[in-house]
Amino acid sequence: MHDGSGRIVVQNLTKQFGPVAAVQNLSFTVEPGSVTGFLGPNGAGKTTTLRMLLGLVTPTAGTGLINGRPFTQLGNPARVVGAVLEAQGFHPKRSARNHLRVYAAAIGVPDARADQVLDLVGLGAAGDRRVGGFSLGMKQRLALATALLGDPQVLVLDEPSNGLDPEGIAWLRTFLQSYARSGRTVLISSHLLAEVEQTVDQVVIISRGQTMYYGPLDNLRDQQQGRVLVQPSDAAALVAALQADGVTAIEQTPDGRIAVTGVEARQVADTALKAGVSIYGIQEEKADLEQLFFRLTNGQYTASGPNQYAGPQQPGSGYYAPPPGYQQGYQQPGYQSAPQGLPQPTGYQPQPGYQPGYQQQPGYQPQPGHQQGYQPQPGHQQGYHQQPNQPEQPGLAAQPEQPQLPAAPPPGYQDPPSGHQQGQGQGGLGGGA
Amino acid sequence: MLGNLVKAEFRKTTTTGLWWGLMIPTVLIALGWAMGTGFVGKNIMDAVGSSDAEELTRLLGIDPAQWQVALFGMARSINIATIFPMIFGGLAISNEINRKTITTTFLTAPNRVSALTAKLVVYLLWGAIYGLAIVAAVSIGIAITSDSSALPDATGWLALAGVGVLSSVLMTVFGVGVGALMTSPIGTTVVLVLYMLIIENGIQLVVSTQGLPELIGFLPNGSVNGLTGSVASSLFLSTAGVVPEELEEVLRAIAGALGAFDWWLSGLIFMVWTALFFLGGWAVTQRKDIT
Repeated sequence: MHDGSGRIVVQNLTKQFGPVAAVQNLSFTVEPGSVTGFLGPNGAGKTTTLRMLLGLVTPTAGTGLINGRPFTQLGNPARVVGAVLEAQGFHPKRSARNHLRVYAAAIGVPDARADQVLDLVGLGAAGDRRVGGFSLGMKQRLALATALLGDPQVLVLDEPSNGLDPEGIAWLRTFLQSYARSGRTVLISSHLLAEVEQTVDQVVIISRGQTMYYGPLDNLRDQQQGRVLVQPSDAAALVAALQADGVTAIEQTPDGRIAVTGVEARQVADTALKAGVSIYGIQEEKADLEQLFFRLTNGQYTASGPNQYAGPQQPGSGYYAPPPGYQQGYQQPGYQSAPQGLPQPTGYQPQPGYQPGYQQQPGYQPQPGHQQGYQPQPGHQQGYHQQPNQPEQPGLAAQPEQPQLPAAPPPGYQDPPSGHQQGQGQGGLGGGA
Repeated sequence: MLGNLVKAEFRKTTTTGLWWGLMIPTVLIALGWAMGTGFVGKNIMDAVGSSDAEELTRLLGIDPAQWQVALFGMARSINIATIFPMIFGGLAISNEINRKTITTTFLTAPNRVSALTAKLVVYLLWGAIYGLAIVAAVSIGIAITSDSSALPDATGWLALAGVGVLSSVLMTVFGVGVGALMTSPIGTTVVLVLYMLIIENGIQLVVSTQGLPELIGFLPNGSVNGLTGSVASSLFLSTAGVVPEELEEVLRAIAGALGAFDWWLSGLIFMVWTALFFLGGWAVTQRKDIT
């Protein structure tokens, strides 16, 4: 009936509620054995996506598959997938144990299972109480208990931390991680990255109904490289030395320091030592994951977001946020040296997270220095989707309409060299070829 | 698989107080109406059977001693009491949608067809349970206040009990359909009660004064009343001896079956109404986005 893989596959899911496009062409895969976070701001389409996956909402287009099957073809679905969708699906007058017994009967598991799951979620003592008197946290636990009745292989949770106290959140985290470690699949949605950051291994980030990133959280972290702030005795000498080493992502900060991006502090210090430059102060500045998440999910402002961030830091380098014309730009002689020289060991290629989403684009991946391909830059996306010579991209999250595409370069983008800028607009075409 | 779902649906109904919360007024109304109509019937019969009226009845060629007037009271009482199983049915799906338990119901069923089939089975059963309770309460009530000569014989009682249970079952499923279409428990209850008790009676009044009483038999309440009312009036007529033809209409009106067709035709008509609403509610629920 189903393949028993524990894999969730969402393919080109689209849901239109009247004039509102709740979900647009969403695609991602969730593998068993890990906890996958499904992230996006409120209204991004998370709940609708999960409900389409669970057969509760009929998609306008696309499919959501669990174990290779749509929900309605799973046979006894609660044995395959358990879902915590909201903490409200209870009759207030029904006791917790009776609630579970109702659904235990539907699934076909013995009544004793109701008591087992009650104990499992820590509600053993409250089993005979009416759910109407439960706190939100208790209802969340009961919802989880209901999801666990059929001992499912796949667990889907929509904002399960709502109403849980810190202890409950910690307990849930441990529980979900051990659940996933037993080879099962856990998909958990949240509008707060911080909330699930410690729980999840993988993330799917969506905004305005579209996939912005999916892959390991670690890769997201790695890609978000920090910068080194250094106060040298001779700034010019250090910059020259760094450039000789191939480090070009250098800029002057307002306070007179030099900010070097994409290298470790040690390397800067070593270079300074070799160049005979004294260092009065050195400081590593870590990138903020939450800030990145915010940028990724702040759909309408993705145009300016990344560039605003990148602009003051390293104008011209395009490192943090490769501008739209980047793909073409890098092919131009003279410009090429810059991105290639960037030390980016964790760049685009070894990122498994990057690959599943965009693996269908052969022409896209091998671009040097394009480690930030996931960035939701409109220009980037446009270029990417415009690639007419890539019909072999079946899973491509094609976004036929991108109203937020800016015709003009975003703020902070004026700085890059002219060659860079020329690439914009038609850039992606060249990049993907 | 369906057995599991039926068990689950049945547990849903027994783990909250709704079933007995509605059963109490059902029995009380059935009992009260039966006692009341039995009392009224007895008084009428006493008047008709009195020596004063004897001459009149002899003149008309009728023999009131054989009149099982209790049949009319029973039919009326059953009709009124079946309002409650209809409400019970009306809350079946609307309450699940309102409480959002429908989400888990659909998540634990192979598909919506099986979930709704299980619901249908369980509510058919509940309709029958309510129907039996109604028939029992009505029988007790009518027996308390009526003369034994006014009561139907065993065959007559069985026939009335049969259509009583049937109308309760159909009313329940009718309610399920309306509830699924309306999706609001309060709205469903208000609409069902208002329609059955007031709106359709108004329509019936208009229709009959316009000289088209036949139309009543096609209306939901008119047809379901015809189910029990027609049985009551034909049972009455079969044992009452000579009854002037003009009086038959009056008797049917007393039984609550004015303009109604034969009991089986009335039953079929109401079954069509029930199927219409139930299948409509089913279709809507089948395709509904549970958000």
